[in-house]
Amino acid sequence: MRRSAKIMIAGMAASLVLAGCGTDDPDGPDTDPGTDPGTSEVKVGLAYDVGGRGDQSFNDAAAAGLDRAIADFGVDSTESSAIDGEPESAREERLIQLADAGFNPVIGVGFAYAGAVAKVAPQFPDTQFGLIDSTDAMGDNIANLVFPEHEGSFLVGAAAALKSETGKIGFIGGVNVPLIAKFEAGYAAGALAVNPDIEIESTYLTQPPDFSGFGDPAKGRTAAEGQFDAGADVVYHAAGGSGLGVFQAADTAGGLAIGVDSDQYHTVPSELQDVILTSMLKQVDVAVYDYIKSFIDGSPLSGEVVFGLEAGGVDYSTSGGLVDDIADQLDEFKRQIIAGEITVPDSM
Amino acid sequence: MSTPTHEVPRDETVTRSRFSWGWLLIGIAGVILALGALRTVTGADDVASAGTMGAAVRAAMPIALAGLGGLWAERAGVVNIGLEGMMILGTFGAGFAGYQWGPWAALAFAVFMGTVGGLIHAIATVGFGVDHIVSGVAVNIIGLGAAQYLAALTFTGKPGGGPTQSPPVERMPTFDIPGLSWAGRELAQTDLVFLTDAGAVLAGLTTRVSLLTVIGLACIVGTWLLLWHTSFGLRVRACGENPQSAETLGVNVYLYKYSAVLASGAMAGLGGAFLVDDASVYRDGQTGGRGYIGLAAMIFGNWRPGGLVAGAGLFGYTDALRLRRGGESVHALLLLIGVGLIALAVWWLWKRKVAQAGVTAAFGVGLVVLHLATDSVPSDFTGMTPFIATLLVLGLASQRLRMPKADGQRYRRGEAG
Repeated sequence: MRRSAKIMIAGMAASLVLAGCGTDDPDGPDTDPGTDPGTSEVKVGLAYDVGGRGDQSFNDAAAAGLDRAIADFGVDSTESSAIDGEPESAREERLIQLADAGFNPVIGVGFAYAGAVAKVAPQFPDTQFGLIDSTDAMGDNIANLVFPEHEGSFLVGAAAALKSETGKIGFIGGVNVPLIAKFEAGYAAGALAVNPDIEIESTYLTQPPDFSGFGDPAKGRTAAEGQFDAGADVVYHAAGGSGLGVFQAADTAGGLAIGVDSDQYHTVPSELQDVILTSMLKQVDVAVYDYIKSFIDGSPLSGEVVFGLEAGGVDYSTSGGLVDDIADQLDEFKRQIIAGEITVPDSM
Repeated sequence: MSTPTHEVPRDETVTRSRFSWGWLLIGIAGVILALGALRTVTGADDVASAGTMGAAVRAAMPIALAGLGGLWAERAGVVNIGLEGMMILGTFGAGFAGYQWGPWAALAFAVFMGTVGGLIHAIATVGFGVDHIVSGVAVNIIGLGAAQYLAALTFTGKPGGGPTQSPPVERMPTFDIPGLSWAGRELAQTDLVFLTDAGAVLAGLTTRVSLLTVIGLACIVGTWLLLWHTSFGLRVRACGENPQSAETLGVNVYLYKYSAVLASGAMAGLGGAFLVDDASVYRDGQTGGRGYIGLAAMIFGNWRPGGLVAGAGLFGYTDALRLRRGGESVHALLLLIGVGLIALAVWWLWKRKVAQAGVTAAFGVGLVVLHLATDSVPSDFTGMTPFIATLLVLGLASQRLRMPKADGQRYRRGEAG
C-alpha cells in the first residue's frame, strides 16, 4: 500500500473514531504502535448467501457491517458469494477455503450456511465462526447471531392493521422456510392484536429447495396483485429481491406495502416511495459489526446472541412519514413486548 | 416415424389449417364455460378473473418466446437446449441497455445478446457438427457465466444497482385496447353465467397491455406466416426434415440453418427482455428455467406455433393461478381436472380402450374425492401446479407428437451422394 493511501485510511479511521461516540478505546485493537492506527491483524472471511453483495437487502446489510468494521478497525477481509442452485458441498468448500487461508473469524451470512458451519467448525477449532439467522449449528467456536424477526414483524403487522381500511391485509413470503414463517407469525399476531377480525392473505412464492422466490420480482408482483384484487390494502413482504414486484403492484393498485430487512424507502426507485408504509428493520450490519468488534476486543461472542427490539436489532422504520400518526401506538406495543407483557409467537 | 416422409406432414398441415379457426373459437368458448362453471360451483373467484388473465399473459409471454426460439431452431433441424442461456444473455442485455437508454434500447440489445448466444450455438452445431445437446449445455453455462460476470462488471456501484442487480429499467408503455377493455369490464360486472367470465377474460387480456406483449404476439404470428407461408419457410423446414433432399434441390442448407438458429437466439433474447421489462430490473437467476419450459411448451405444441402458444398459455395460467390466491384456486382446479379426466375416461370407454379408461377414471375420481375432502391445497403443493398440469396434458397428448425428421442430426454438405 502506498504511503499516501495509508495516511488517508488512517485519517478516515481516526475521524470515524472521533465522530463515533460508541468507541471509547481507539487504541484497543492496535498491538504495534509503529504501524498506523487503522490496521489490524484480523482477517475476516465473509460468505454471502445467494445474491451476494449488492442485493439491496439482506446480504448488503451484512456487507455494510463489514465495511464499517474495515473503516473502524482496518481489518483485512475477503468475500465470497453463493450461487443459486449450488449444492450443500459448495458451501462447505467455501467455508473450508476461508478457514484454511487463515481467515478468522469466518462469517456465514444466512441460515443456508447452518449445515456447512456445523460440519466445518469442528474441523477448525481455532477459528471462530459466525452464523447469521440460525441456531441449527451450535458449538464453542460458533456464534449464532439471530434476530427476533417475529417481534419486529409484530410491529409492522400492527401498523398494517391500523392503516387498513378494508379489514384485509396480505403477507408474501419468498420461500416457504421456517425463518420466513417467523415473519408471518409475528405479522399476523400484530395485526390481530389491533383488529381481532382482520383477514390475512398469505402467499409463498416458491418451495424449498427452489430459492428463486427471493429474487423474482415478476412472481412477487403477480402474487401481490392477487392479494390486492382480493381486497387487501396493505401487503408485507419477506421476499428479498422479489419485494420490488410487491411495491409495483401496490403502486398500480393504489395500496400500501411494507418493506423488510433494510429501510426500503431508501432502496426503491423514487416513484415507488409513496407506497412504503414502513419497513421491518433487521440490523444485520450491527450483528456483523458487533461480532467482528468482539473478536478484536479479544472476547469473541459465542453461542446464541439475540439482537432484539431493546437493542435495536429489529425495529420499524419511519421514513416517508406514513406511520407518524400511529407511532405512539406502535411504540406502546414495542414497550409491552420488551417488558414481556406481550409474547409474540414465532411460528404459525 | 418410418412412414413415407413427404405425404404425412403435408396432409397434417392441410387438415389442421382448414379447421383451426372454428376449433379455436369453440375451444376458447369451451374453456371459458368450464372455468365459469367452476367459479360458480366452487366460489373460487380467481379462476376466471381479469387479474388472473392479465398475470397469465405476463407469465406466458417469455415462455412462448423461448418456445418460439426452439421452434425456429428445431424446424431447421438443430436441437436447441441452449435457450435458457440465450435468454439469460437477453436479460443482461435488456438490463444493461435499459437503465441507460430506455426500453427500446433494452429490446434491441436483448435481441442482440440473444442472437450472439444463437451464433455460438450455430457455429458449433452447424459449422463444426458438434453434438447439439453438448453445444446447448455449453451455451447455457456460457450464458449464465457471461451474464453474471458482465453484470458484476457493469452494475456495481451504479445507483440502485449491484453485482447481481441492475439499476431500475424503464418499462415499455402499456395501454388499454379501446372498446374491448371497456366492454370486457362492463360485461364482467353483469351476472350472466357465461358472459361475466368472458368479459373478465376479455378485460384481463385487453387492459394494461404492454407494447412488448404486442411485439411478442407479432413475432408469433410472423413466425407462423414466415415458416408456413413463404418459400423461405418451406426451405427452412426442408432443412429440418431432410437436408439432403433440400441440398439436391439447390438449397444452401448451411445458410438456412444459420439464419434459423440466429432467429432462435433472437427470440430467446426477446423473452429475456420481456422478463426484465416485467420486473423493471435485471436480476441474477431471473429466468428461473423458463428457457427449458419454453422448450417443453414447443414439444407440447407438436413443433407448431399454435400449439406452443397453447402450452405456454396453460403454463402461464396455472402459474398465475397458484401465485395469486393459490390454495383456493388450485383446490378448485382439482375439481375441474378430475371431472375432465372422468369425461375422458367415458370417451375412451366408448372407444373400447378399457385399460386407458380405467386408469384415467381412477385418477379423475381420486382428484374429485380429494377436492371434496379438503378445503384448500397446502402451499407446499400449489407450487407444483404448472408442472403437473403440463405433465398431465403432455402425457395425454404425447402419442400424436412428431418432431422434424432430421432434428438433432449432423449435416455435412455433399453427403447426399
